[in-house]
Amino acid sequence: MFEYLLSGFAVALQPMNLLIALVGCLVGTLIGVLPGLGPTATLAMLIPLVFSMPPATALILLTSVYYGSMYGGSTTSILVNIPGESASVITCLDGNKMALQGRAGPALAIAAIGSFIAGTFAVLVLTLVGAPVAGYALHFGPAEFFALMVFGLSTVASLTGTNVVKSVITTCFGLMIATVGIDLVSGAPRYTFGNPFLQDGIDFVVVAIGMFAFTEVIVTAIEVREGTRAEIIKAERIWLSWEEFKYSVPSISRGTVFGFLVGMLPGAGATLSTFIAYNLEKRICKHPERLGTGDIRGVACPEAANNAASGASLVPLLTLGLPGGGATAVMLGALMMLDITPGPLLFQKHGAMVWALIASMYVGNALLLILNWPLVNVFARVMSVPAKYLMPIVLVISTIGVWSLSYSSVDLLLAAGAGMLGYYLRRNKYPIEPLILGLILGGRMEQAYRQALIISKGSNFIFFTKPISLTLLVSAVLFLFLPTLLAKAKQFQSARAASEGAA
Amino acid sequence: MSASVKGRRRNRLEGLAILLVAGGYLWEAHNVPDLFQMPGVPGPTTFPYLLGIVFAFAGLWLLVSPADLLAHRRQPAAEGRAEERPTPAKGLWTRLTTDWHFYTMWIVVVGYLAFMPFVGFPVATFVLLAVFTFLLGEARWWVIVGLALVVTTVIHLGFAKGLNVRLPLGVLESLLK
Repeated sequence: MFEYLLSGFAVALQPMNLLIALVGCLVGTLIGVLPGLGPTATLAMLIPLVFSMPPATALILLTSVYYGSMYGGSTTSILVNIPGESASVITCLDGNKMALQGRAGPALAIAAIGSFIAGTFAVLVLTLVGAPVAGYALHFGPAEFFALMVFGLSTVASLTGTNVVKSVITTCFGLMIATVGIDLVSGAPRYTFGNPFLQDGIDFVVVAIGMFAFTEVIVTAIEVREGTRAEIIKAERIWLSWEEFKYSVPSISRGTVFGFLVGMLPGAGATLSTFIAYNLEKRICKHPERLGTGDIRGVACPEAANNAASGASLVPLLTLGLPGGGATAVMLGALMMLDITPGPLLFQKHGAMVWALIASMYVGNALLLILNWPLVNVFARVMSVPAKYLMPIVLVISTIGVWSLSYSSVDLLLAAGAGMLGYYLRRNKYPIEPLILGLILGGRMEQAYRQALIISKGSNFIFFTKPISLTLLVSAVLFLFLPTLLAKAKQFQSARAASEGAA
Repeated sequence: MSASVKGRRRNRLEGLAILLVAGGYLWEAHNVPDLFQMPGVPGPTTFPYLLGIVFAFAGLWLLVSPADLLAHRRQPAAEGRAEERPTPAKGLWTRLTTDWHFYTMWIVVVGYLAFMPFVGFPVATFVLLAVFTFLLGEARWWVIVGLALVVTTVIHLGFAKGLNVRLPLGVLESLLK
């Protein structure tokens, strides 16, 4: 294996391939930074280009863009509270608070370092145990996938709201929006009201930009106008301190492992991995009450999970031919067009190309760290631009993000509606993150649910007879309701102790 | 009316609205023609029914609000005292005049999104940037106009030429082509 990896490095470090990896990382980072222009669409646009390249070079370009977009997505989450892509939504919770506290530099730096460590780990595992580890994904059938997504949604709902019912409401609403459009199985138009533009459904980017970008712009604008905007504390330093790095290492480790394990499941994707990893981190870490208040671990953990999941999603893609999400589905399409069929025989039939790809991922990770490290200084200075100039620019760029999806004015109007709804939800303490995740997962969740019912001939008991599914569903209920019940029990005990003390 | 009472009333109104939306959602699911249902296979309405029921239940919970009812039963005296210190209510006209910036910003944003494809990106963006920067407190007209012009040009060139995004020229199309 070591000699195969060395020969892979020999290909990956060729000047042309190195240049392609650098360009891919830059483009991917830029795409990740710009809200709306996601990696899936970018990879799809690059497919015609890859025809003219050798297969190894084509794959190097696609994976470096994919990795780069994961790095870039965290930048806008941290600086302006607008996720650059879906897997960076959870980074907004702590990242933006850190930026407002004058710690944008350390936030960006730990995102880059955590991503590098996690990405390297993922590639190592892919190198050493890719095929056998991928086998565990085969234990997940439709019922397990449905239960996993319910688990993911319940963790988000429990993390991001103070009121469980409001979290359930927004989660359901996101899932309901996902049902708009033509049903892929039966062809039935659902909730289109005769409008042809709604037949393709409502893209999550439209809703995410509306609810995050437009709402954030208006909220910030009002605060600036009324003079109530918290003054952004002037940054004392741009770089990460050694103490902050040591403090983040356990979270990076846990985020890497959880992100990798979940990311390897076909269909799970980086988004679900980051939410689950963050929730588990909140349950396990010391001083969990600090997460959500601008704790650096709240950036380190999801960013590590994000990149670990991105690498992990290549395991089922290469070894089983199962894509992990939209971006890896496009990569699968590219592989098929290059006459490369992923699967158990990939390493035997196209070994040289696969090892070159794995080696290029090591190189890509290092390149991204080298590229992004000096950019931390540049990006952090964005925080010093007055909001009255920055917010209108963010508004325009976000609009272009929505427009570029399908050049439709209906999308723009939907984004406007989503923005107004997002503002109302934010003002009235309804969490938005579960809505977005529900919208992203809704289609896959429904597909898994219906497949499970087909297998069980219509019986819902299948979700309770399969051990993995049952475990996940029970965990989902516990994660959702246990914190509230424990808090009430604690209140009851304190009140009882106080009344006994008074007596 | 005290703030807590107002909050509870808002929750109940929201619960009612959610129930209505859930009802409409379930009704639309019911209206999916039978020809799309395949025998022995969960059809296109299975998942929507499940979601609609959960959504309706959550709305009902918000409407009935058992937690608030319990709290009210335990502390009616405290509530009575709170009632004596109502928060001042703002009339519609007062709200419009004091919060006009807020409404204007939304009108500007929604107007931009609605009209940009027709008016064209350069013109719409220039107007948006100028108006929004003004609303955010910038009073120097040369800064407003200069910033709007430069940013519109840079963004248009960057996205249209650099990233190949098709931005509509709108009213400028006949001039530039």
